[in-house]
Amino acid sequence: MPAVFTLLIESFLGITALGIVVVFLTAFLSAVPVKYNLKSVFIRWRSTVATVVGIALVVLVYVLLQSLAVGIEKSNANTGDPRNILVARKGATAESSSLVTRAQLRTLQYFEEIERNAAGDPVISADVLTLASLPRKGQGGEANVLLRGITPRGMELRPQVQLVAGRWFSPGRREIVVSRKLAGRFANFEVGDTFKTGPATLTVVGWLDGAGSAYDSECWMDADESRSVFEREMYSTFLVRPKSPEAATNLIRKIENDKRLQLRAESETGYYQKQTLTAAPIQWLAGFLAVTMSIGAVFAAMNTMYAAVGARTREIGTLRVLGFHRRNVIATFLLEGILLAMLGGALGCLISLKWNGYTTATLSVESFSETVFAFTITPTLAAQGMFFAAALGFWGTLLPAVRAARLPVISALKAL
Amino acid sequence: MTLGGFILKNALRNKRRALLSVVSVGVSLFLFITLQVALRELTLPPEDLGSSLRIIVRNKVSLMSSLPARQLQVIEKIPGIAAVTPFTFFGGLYKGDEKFTSFAQFAVDPARVKDVIVDAKMDAAEYAAWIADRTLCIVGLDTARRYNLKRGDRMQFTGTFYPCDLDLRVAGFYHGTADDRTVFFHHRYLDEALDNPGTVGCWWALAASAEEAVLVTARINAAFANSSAEVRAETERAFQLGFISMWANIKVLIGSICTVVVFTLLLVTVSTMSMAIRERFRELAVLKALGFRRRELLGFILAESFGLSMLGAVLGAGGAWLLYRNLDIQKLANGVFLAFEVTPRMLGMAFAIAALLGILSAIAPALSVARTSVVEGLRTLD
Repeated sequence: MPAVFTLLIESFLGITALGIVVVFLTAFLSAVPVKYNLKSVFIRWRSTVATVVGIALVVLVYVLLQSLAVGIEKSNANTGDPRNILVARKGATAESSSLVTRAQLRTLQYFEEIERNAAGDPVISADVLTLASLPRKGQGGEANVLLRGITPRGMELRPQVQLVAGRWFSPGRREIVVSRKLAGRFANFEVGDTFKTGPATLTVVGWLDGAGSAYDSECWMDADESRSVFEREMYSTFLVRPKSPEAATNLIRKIENDKRLQLRAESETGYYQKQTLTAAPIQWLAGFLAVTMSIGAVFAAMNTMYAAVGARTREIGTLRVLGFHRRNVIATFLLEGILLAMLGGALGCLISLKWNGYTTATLSVESFSETVFAFTITPTLAAQGMFFAAALGFWGTLLPAVRAARLPVISALKAL
Repeated sequence: MTLGGFILKNALRNKRRALLSVVSVGVSLFLFITLQVALRELTLPPEDLGSSLRIIVRNKVSLMSSLPARQLQVIEKIPGIAAVTPFTFFGGLYKGDEKFTSFAQFAVDPARVKDVIVDAKMDAAEYAAWIADRTLCIVGLDTARRYNLKRGDRMQFTGTFYPCDLDLRVAGFYHGTADDRTVFFHHRYLDEALDNPGTVGCWWALAASAEEAVLVTARINAAFANSSAEVRAETERAFQLGFISMWANIKVLIGSICTVVVFTLLLVTVSTMSMAIRERFRELAVLKALGFRRRELLGFILAESFGLSMLGAVLGAGGAWLLYRNLDIQKLANGVFLAFEVTPRMLGMAFAIAALLGILSAIAPALSVARTSVVEGLRTLD
């Protein structure tokens, strides 16, 4: 997005926020009691309800869409151990499109920065990632599932993945452990089921749970078995545990600079945090809808508030005669509009909570496979929704409020 | 004053409210149409004559698994096949793109591909030049326009799926297919860069007739059953639809947003309309006292709300239609959207919604007017 555009949006939001703060301050400092606003809001309950529900729906759509994007990001952010280093082919944009050789494994495992376990072996795992096109449950057609061929060391390096049903696969057998969340979406994923991919028939022996990480979208099997089933000579990536943070920095530099290897290394958590392509279009859609729907909502709010001003011409005249300033009148109307809108915002946020934690899935743009994530409504997101509602109220009430303040006192009192 | 004039005067009496109502209906219908167009574009790939004739053969495991090049001899001999070419998705990043390149690059056999993409029109001299030099490529006209490419320009791609980069030169352009964005280059160039692995990504074939296409796919599938590389052959159309079904719940998502938008719109307009009527309750009572009948009053109200919402529809739906017709959507959306076409069906739906809005928002005020007696109506203060 062009910088000018971002600046424009940011300054617009800034002005709105400032306006809202000023309104609250003026309203609370002036003597027009807030009770007056609250009572007025409920006297014309029909149009009030329409406005509140309208704004609630706008906020709901915005919050829900953003919560999808947050869900995808959070599942990526949850993934990996900050101590681990992921090594992939230079140029590969995803683990599944990376290829690394056995020769590279031999070179890499003698690097002294790598931690050794009790038996004295280097803590390095060479994984094989493949995609299998498998039938969904019901009439959903087929979708790609990410299969990770993994070594015992690779499992030790990923402690957040737990077995929740059945047992782990045994090395050398065509067995597979599938993610519990994927099991709800694909046919033949119950423990004990079998499915065919390529020339091989795999037996599901257990379910894994990735604790809300990207591993929830994977199925695990034995690395060498995976290479034989999918006829792969090479591995996809290496996962390494360096001895210390300093060793990690050294190791990354050493791998990146080694012309023989042609590999790229980065921290495992860093790699997953960079996977933002899938969430980006959803965020774009949320932004687009927020802008267009709010135009409609602002006009609707304006209509309601103009009618309110029209119906209360006499009241306004009375307020002015009692000695209230024009700015008090503006503030009191703005406050009313903002409160009304925030009521709608609160309603929208409350309704959105119903979906919080609900699991859904889409095609990940990076791994090109089904990725599972949950609607995630964070406090920040709810606050954003409330601010959005308040902004709608502010801009929808500004012109009617100004009109109210500019009514001549005499004509206001004369009005029937 | 004629009746029509009376209704018009009434509708425009509060010009600001009339304008706000029309614009909020307009904006919402504009949004509705935009979402519908986007949904159609994402879920219904462009269809042309060839898409039901052309067949894509991929590895049964998944698109990411390759196929042995030796399968060519078998596929060629299958009855009903008019032409076939290797068809490998390179998926590189065009220079300057860091994360995502919106047009595809395919490695094909130049001598064979012309018989598969039958819709494509290209200059014979350019085509001959392309066949002759394996470092040349041909570029879809849309992509060429977007990047302002001329013949002889270099196109460099960084490999993401394949451990090699491409350095191609533009031999010429093609147009006339449903999606003129793709770059085609020599499969031999890719083979050499990868040290001749003897594999291809997919096969791309043309069936002799549309009736035979389904039979041909079955024959291809049968030909490689129980071999080391089983295949899935399907028509291009079926392939694209299968691809889209992988997006899973996106369709439901946009569909439900459309519903929410329409509902919000309904709510707001109904409320505004009834506000306008309530404001002149006394006038309506006077009209009633003058001897206008209930159905005539209903007519007044209906005509006004119907007129306003229709005007909104003309503004919103018509505006969307005009805008998307004249906008270079490809450039704006970074190549994600291709045609962004507003279909007559969508326009019809938008107007139907507007009509429904007009009728629904007249019902509540009309009912209360009908129910109230003249005296009560005259007594109301606001």
